[in-house]
Amino acid sequence: MTRVVAQLHRLRWAFLATAVVLLVVFLLAQRQTVDVSYAQSPSGEDSVTEGSAGELTDTDLPSVAEMTAMLDEDPVVRLPGSIADWDEQLVTEAIGDADIRVLVTPPGLTEKQQDQLREVENATILVVGTEITGTMYGVSADDVAGWRAQFATGDVTSLLLTLVASEKDEDSPPDIDLFRWRAPTAAELAPVVADLRADRLHVADGATLESMPDRAATAFPDQEPLFAVFPQQPFGLPVPEYGAALAEEFPDTPIVVMYGNWAEYHGPDAESFSDVVAAGVYSRFGDRIAGYAYPQANVLGVYLDQVTDVRYAGLFDRPLPYQPFDPLRVALPVLPWLFALCVLVFLGLSVRSVLGPGGGPPRRAPARLAGLTTLAIEMSGLSRDPALVRALSKLEAVRRALAEDLSQRLVRRLLDEAESELDTAARELGRADYRPANYLAGGIA
Amino acid sequence: MIWVWVVGIVLLVVAGFAAAYLPRARARALRQRTAWSAARAAIASAAISRDAVPDDVPEAGDLFARAELLVANGGGVAAAEEAADCAERADRLWREAR
Repeated sequence: MTRVVAQLHRLRWAFLATAVVLLVVFLLAQRQTVDVSYAQSPSGEDSVTEGSAGELTDTDLPSVAEMTAMLDEDPVVRLPGSIADWDEQLVTEAIGDADIRVLVTPPGLTEKQQDQLREVENATILVVGTEITGTMYGVSADDVAGWRAQFATGDVTSLLLTLVASEKDEDSPPDIDLFRWRAPTAAELAPVVADLRADRLHVADGATLESMPDRAATAFPDQEPLFAVFPQQPFGLPVPEYGAALAEEFPDTPIVVMYGNWAEYHGPDAESFSDVVAAGVYSRFGDRIAGYAYPQANVLGVYLDQVTDVRYAGLFDRPLPYQPFDPLRVALPVLPWLFALCVLVFLGLSVRSVLGPGGGPPRRAPARLAGLTTLAIEMSGLSRDPALVRALSKLEAVRRALAEDLSQRLVRRLLDEAESELDTAARELGRADYRPANYLAGGIA
Repeated sequence: MIWVWVVGIVLLVVAGFAAAYLPRARARALRQRTAWSAARAAIASAAISRDAVPDDVPEAGDLFARAELLVANGGGVAAAEEAADCAERADRLWREAR
């Protein structure tokens, strides 16, 4: 029994160690992510970062006073390099006789220059690139038609009308889509097709893309895509619809056509994900793309990353790919309970050792020793029994053990043995009054 | 500054080992002394029983000799317990022989 207890006692350290290991494992495993993804999407990190991407144009703004004076003179001031256009008749009608002045600047201003613009106090509406802010609110497009007009032709008519209505505390008018497609002529189409056949990439004059985007392979892993990149199209004229024409020319081939900052996809499965990708890119990055002059390569990179992400995101009810069973994920919720259990067991086993040494009155053993010694001396004149001699030898051992501060258990055992020897001797002698139980019944006087 | 951490961790580990080890070492020493004390007490008791028996009990004598040999050789707790066990058995044999 005592052996078992001692084993358990030693075992508590094992429980403590297990608890510590569980705690460490649990803490180290707390690196959970909320990705829902087909494996890990290899697209790059967020590509739109301040400054480093060449999105700033080295524009020199006039001073605040100059701009204020220009606005005083003319309700619409268009600084050189501006790219935004709108249907002036519609906007002028909407403004009516309200005092709404519009300041239009090129995109890609530094933070400092934007602060400078905000100091022009009589500018009701600021148009930086195609990003539009009023005195209280800003507006941005929220559907594919809106983004296409804004980024392909710099058309901000619909946004301006909304903001003018907001400045005049009126209800927002319905969106107006002034964007028109036309079929490209054979002369326009021929060089594009020739370029695409030659090196899968057509960069029209005025477009800023320099080479094949390097993320094309992850966005379209099955087939090499074609890229046709054009500069921002003039406002007010129908835009040649290269996408449809090229899709006819190159069936079953992914084609990305880009006008200005507007990228669109044609080719296999276009209907199932081109809108998703466009919404993903332009709803997240539309404001930055509008206000800054990012190179087309950057916008296209973001677009291709979005294609990749959609490809990996599992949006289309495809069966999930095989995921290996992860025991850690299953075991993790159990660990705190196991930890608590181990701690409880450890504490339970420790209670004995914490409370144990304090128990038992310390004066008992010396008192018993004194009593038994008295009895033994008294009997020594009467008895020559070896039991008495053994008892005396044991009492001597007790004395030594007490002097050397040995364990109480040994002392107690030796005392018990001495007592039983004295009992034997007393019975041999035939004197019941010398039996320790009787002799020591009243204690030592 | 990494060495501050290293030294700190080493100190903590050493202190932890020391705090765990020293009381255990002391307890082990105490157990050992206790066991030998018990063994010596048992041998003394057996010697008295032997002297009280007129006849020779060879088995008890062997056990007793073994116990004394163990005490003479010294050793750990196990040796002490073995010695005490031998002495107790010898004691019992001599008492029965009387």
